[in-house]
Amino acid sequence: MASITRRGLLAAGGGALGGAAGVPRAAAQGLAPHERELHEAAQREGEITWYTGQFQSEPSEAVGRAFTERHPGIKVNVVRSASQVAFQRLSQDARARVAQCDVFSSTDTSHFTALKRQDRLLPYRPRNAERMIGAARDAADPDGHYQITYLALYLLARRTDRVPEPEAPRSWRDLTDARWRDQLAVGHPGYSGAIGSWCVAMRAMYGWDYFRALERNRPQIGRSAGDPVTTLNAGERTVGVGIPAAATLFSISRGNPLSLIYPEDGTLMVPAPSAALRNAPHPNAAKLFMEFMTGPAYARATRPFFAESLRPEVQPPEGARPLDQIKFVSPALQDIETGIPEVKELWRDTFGI
Amino acid sequence: MSRLSLRGLTKDYGELTVVDRIDLTLTEGEFVSLLGPSGCGKTTTLRMIAGFVEPTAGAVEMAGKVISSPGSVLPPERRGMSMIFQSYAIWPNMTVQENVAFGLKLRKLSAEEVRRRVGQILEVVQMGHLAGRYPAELSGGQQQRVALARAIVVKPAVLLLDEPLSNLDANLREEMRFEIRRLHDEFRITTVYVTHDQAEAMATSDRIAVMNAGRIEQVDAPHLLYTRPRTRFVAGFIGRTNLLEARMENGEIGLDGFGLKVAPTNPEPNGGTRPVLLSVRPQSIGLHRNRPSGPDGRPAVPGIVAQRVFLGETWDYVVQPQGNGARLRVTAPPLQVHEVGEAVWIDFDPRQIAIVE
Amino acid sequence: MNDTATILPKPAARAGEPRRAGVLDRLSHVEPVALVWLALAVVLLLLVVAPLGKLFLVSFETQETGAFTLSNYVTAYGRARYRDALVNSLLLGLASATISVVLAVPMAWAVSRTDMPGKGLTWAVVLGAFVVPPYLGAVGWILLAGPNSGVINRVWRAATGAEGALFNVYSFEGMALVIALHSFPLVFIFVKAALDLVSSEMEDAANILGAGTWTAVRKVSLPLVWPSIMAAFIVIFLETIALFGTPAIIGIPARINVVTTQLWQFFEYPVRVEVAAAYAMPLLLITVGMIAVQKLLLSRKGFVSQTGKGGERRPIKLGPWRWALFGWCASVGALSVAMPLLVLVQASFAKAWGRGISLDNLTLRNYRLLIFEHEMALTSIWNTIWFSASAATFAVLIALLIAYIVNRRLVPFGEALGFLAMAPFVIPGIVMAIGFYAAYASPPLALYGTAAIIIFAFTARFLPIAYANSSAAVRAVHPEMEEAARILGSGRLHAISRVTAPLVKKALLGGWLIVFIVASRELSAAIFLVGPRTRTMSVLLYDLSEAGNFEVLAAFGGLLLLITMVLVGVGMKLVGRDFMLRRT
Repeated sequence: MASITRRGLLAAGGGALGGAAGVPRAAAQGLAPHERELHEAAQREGEITWYTGQFQSEPSEAVGRAFTERHPGIKVNVVRSASQVAFQRLSQDARARVAQCDVFSSTDTSHFTALKRQDRLLPYRPRNAERMIGAARDAADPDGHYQITYLALYLLARRTDRVPEPEAPRSWRDLTDARWRDQLAVGHPGYSGAIGSWCVAMRAMYGWDYFRALERNRPQIGRSAGDPVTTLNAGERTVGVGIPAAATLFSISRGNPLSLIYPEDGTLMVPAPSAALRNAPHPNAAKLFMEFMTGPAYARATRPFFAESLRPEVQPPEGARPLDQIKFVSPALQDIETGIPEVKELWRDTFGI
Repeated sequence: MSRLSLRGLTKDYGELTVVDRIDLTLTEGEFVSLLGPSGCGKTTTLRMIAGFVEPTAGAVEMAGKVISSPGSVLPPERRGMSMIFQSYAIWPNMTVQENVAFGLKLRKLSAEEVRRRVGQILEVVQMGHLAGRYPAELSGGQQQRVALARAIVVKPAVLLLDEPLSNLDANLREEMRFEIRRLHDEFRITTVYVTHDQAEAMATSDRIAVMNAGRIEQVDAPHLLYTRPRTRFVAGFIGRTNLLEARMENGEIGLDGFGLKVAPTNPEPNGGTRPVLLSVRPQSIGLHRNRPSGPDGRPAVPGIVAQRVFLGETWDYVVQPQGNGARLRVTAPPLQVHEVGEAVWIDFDPRQIAIVE
Repeated sequence: MNDTATILPKPAARAGEPRRAGVLDRLSHVEPVALVWLALAVVLLLLVVAPLGKLFLVSFETQETGAFTLSNYVTAYGRARYRDALVNSLLLGLASATISVVLAVPMAWAVSRTDMPGKGLTWAVVLGAFVVPPYLGAVGWILLAGPNSGVINRVWRAATGAEGALFNVYSFEGMALVIALHSFPLVFIFVKAALDLVSSEMEDAANILGAGTWTAVRKVSLPLVWPSIMAAFIVIFLETIALFGTPAIIGIPARINVVTTQLWQFFEYPVRVEVAAAYAMPLLLITVGMIAVQKLLLSRKGFVSQTGKGGERRPIKLGPWRWALFGWCASVGALSVAMPLLVLVQASFAKAWGRGISLDNLTLRNYRLLIFEHEMALTSIWNTIWFSASAATFAVLIALLIAYIVNRRLVPFGEALGFLAMAPFVIPGIVMAIGFYAAYASPPLALYGTAAIIIFAFTARFLPIAYANSSAAVRAVHPEMEEAARILGSGRLHAISRVTAPLVKKALLGGWLIVFIVASRELSAAIFLVGPRTRTMSVLLYDLSEAGNFEVLAAFGGLLLLITMVLVGVGMKLVGRDFMLRRT
């Protein structure tokens, strides 16, 4: 019922739309044979529901539109939230024994190992994944249950007008300096998968005392890892902690006075997976979406939002430091799996929220 | 000594004059009723005395001081008066005790004193045993007693009552009339009592001010109002009466048609001839089968019984005097029976005939 | 009088054999209303009793096996942090209910009893504060009173040269104030309705005994409407502890964990409905406790409405004080409606809201994104409209039938239906939602993610509003109106549809609109029940707020308000200006 009238709503707006979405195009002609086969099966399913916590709302919607453009007749229900919230929704579905989600994307790999253990992922190795960059191929599930669709970098950013370059913090460690009291903004590991990974990484490097020290500087806690970008833009705080490079670069491109800081003690790199679900109500569309996300069209669609390109044929985003010039930290998969639930509790005890 | 006086008190609402130049003076301890039909301005007058309504002209004085005049009204709470309302306005969220103690507490009396006086007054109104009750748990009459106690206990300079009995049933109303008078006899509080019920006013008041269309028509003791009404309105409003057109000639009046010559009860000092209106009470007219021949020289005329109604305590006859189109109402005791169409004689008591305007 | 006895009809003659009614005859005496009663009982069982019963049972179950256990309670209350959240919620509820009362009682008194100017404006303020969803107000207040970036604090610093903030929204006080600014209309509505019933003589009586205006208000008028103040206080308390959006948006940066954000944590992976259920149980106890306290305090006392005749009411002349009161109403309006909406509108047209108002910061792209590029935005608008409309329709329909049966005393135990219909009034919305999740999300019904579960939850949650409304409407129609139709041969249902329904139409329409509006802004009940395709505007707003994208969020809020305003306009046109503010 919702969809019927929704079409009505779209039709009403269609005049002004000027044929942006929903207008069938002959895009299908650029499809590889394996894609075409899935495409035809998926068209019969008509839609796909994608729970994602990887990109912010705007790029997520752009991905959905790019997919529909490439595969006309298949609508994408984008359910964007912070990663832990997306997983929470998926868990609630499972608990209620209801299948609604086709493809799930988050920034917390432990979600996928857990899902895989419960045999809830659809083993599917997209052909397109074969030609992804090495970093993405290496972090994917060896059994083909999930693929890497986002190489997320989490680092620091400053307000250029409030924190001049020489005074800026250079490392995660610097943030515990009393100078940064009431200056920091950070996401919440209970909501954001990336912040969970960041907490695990920081704990491994400096022990939990790091967070106790951080707490003394009273950082403003948001929910998503991208939350601090807005807080910085508003001028509420001056240094963003553990914020995603893509969202920050996007914000800079809009004229906000921000600048990225690559921490000397290592930029957090999180290979963020996506997977089709075994009980996907639209299995063919789910597979097709996995092909799409591992293919070049996806990389091109996300590039304007400053996502790192996972395809050799698509240039890295403008203004981003080349990956080989960055020092990375990346917690091991097992550490993430066991660590995130622990740091969530520790965080709540330390920060009281 | 005058306690309260109204001087030329007037209230206009736009074009409409509700109270029109009222003058009234109450002596200390006097009980005066404002009596009149609804809409005559009596309640507005009372509310002006209380200070709830600002007069358009004139003044209210208490003990020689002006307390209300246009543009300057001493607020009700500083007048030292109290008032009983038509709805009683007993606060339902307070017990009887608390209601009665309200005014005393505002007067900053000691708790001991408050308790003593509340106890005392509740005994006076026979509510002592119900002190802990809430108003919802009381009957209408009991609520009325609480309202009385609450108003009297503060020993007000003036007590105002606004149709206090109109919400009670008939029997209770009669009982409360005497209760109010009894309390007045006990406490001698200067009182203004507003009512539309003449029996109520008569039973309670020292004097009654009859109001009509915003004006006071007459102020007098109850029996004088009855026997010597000064206006057509008062004569008609207080009891029943026959209004007869007559002529005044040299201190005597002549009734058209049957040449009645009587000395009026309130003769005009100046002579001359002019038309006047007489008020003759039905029970002041004697009804006889034959021509009466009393030594008192009462004027008598023959007539015909035109109509009759038996009311239990009296017969109510309508008699048409000979040679005159008037229809006189005459009351007679139950045993005095006349048939319709019967020829009768009627005579008049000159002392009970009043000239009205 | 005595002769009446003689004309009394003689008792019907016993001589004739009293005819025993046969089965068929008896059936013809049964009114269809009995069946309606049965159907309603079933509906209420499903909507109200089952979710709460299930919640209660689940709180004693072991996950997976379903075996009896008390461990859920141990888990739920085993940690100091969880208990703190409960305490925080209680304090927050008390604080915002208190602030609401402080804000609204003078307004209600001013509008009901005095000659204060600008009463129309005060109505507008109340209405405005009522239709702005609390979480949107919260976002507005973040823009206004963020300690560094908030407009108020920037102006304050510029004006005084002070270092600190004038008011920090990220605080307990901030949260309580923001919640109160969108709750006070309830107090206003309750208290004004009660004050309207206080006859002026009640105050006059105090005046003449020596009490000034202020003393009379304090000692007489306010105590007389005390039950209404308390009822409003309790409702706001319950709404506050059930509020999810504002604590998530303001509470997390303020580091204040409350019951709702804690319940949300129990829904993290692995979902622990059992623990959430156990955690929610004390909320019900608190509710029961508050109502008991209310009953105790009000026990024997009488309050408004039991005056005799003479219920005349005159506005109290306040002199210069009326301007002070007007100032108060206007300030509340500025804080609750004008200021937050102004910054929200500014943000919704801004590229980056922190940059303030300038031409190069103006853009329509936030609206464009939502209307043309966002897959979910239009869907969620449509969802919101039809979920709310369906829920309002169901609620009013059910409520009308129950109100009718109860008021006309058609069946024994009719009051039980009335009680059930009012019960959700005192159940925190979030508890209701979790109950629905526990009872209906899983197979066999498997309603999770469907429109049905949301519509049913909204219907149950707002049934009391509809019931109070319908009950008042039905009471206002004298039974003789219907009896006149029935004696002419019209059946009861026919009489209802032809006589009663038209008479109560306006009131019902008003009730429908209120339910529609509160449903369209409901977040707490929706957040646990939505699926990917059944997201409502409130849930999407919440999702948007997660990423802190305030410009798009503000634009979406603008759309939500626009829709609500249109509806309020329609409501006023159809039902009259005060349709939302009548005592419901």
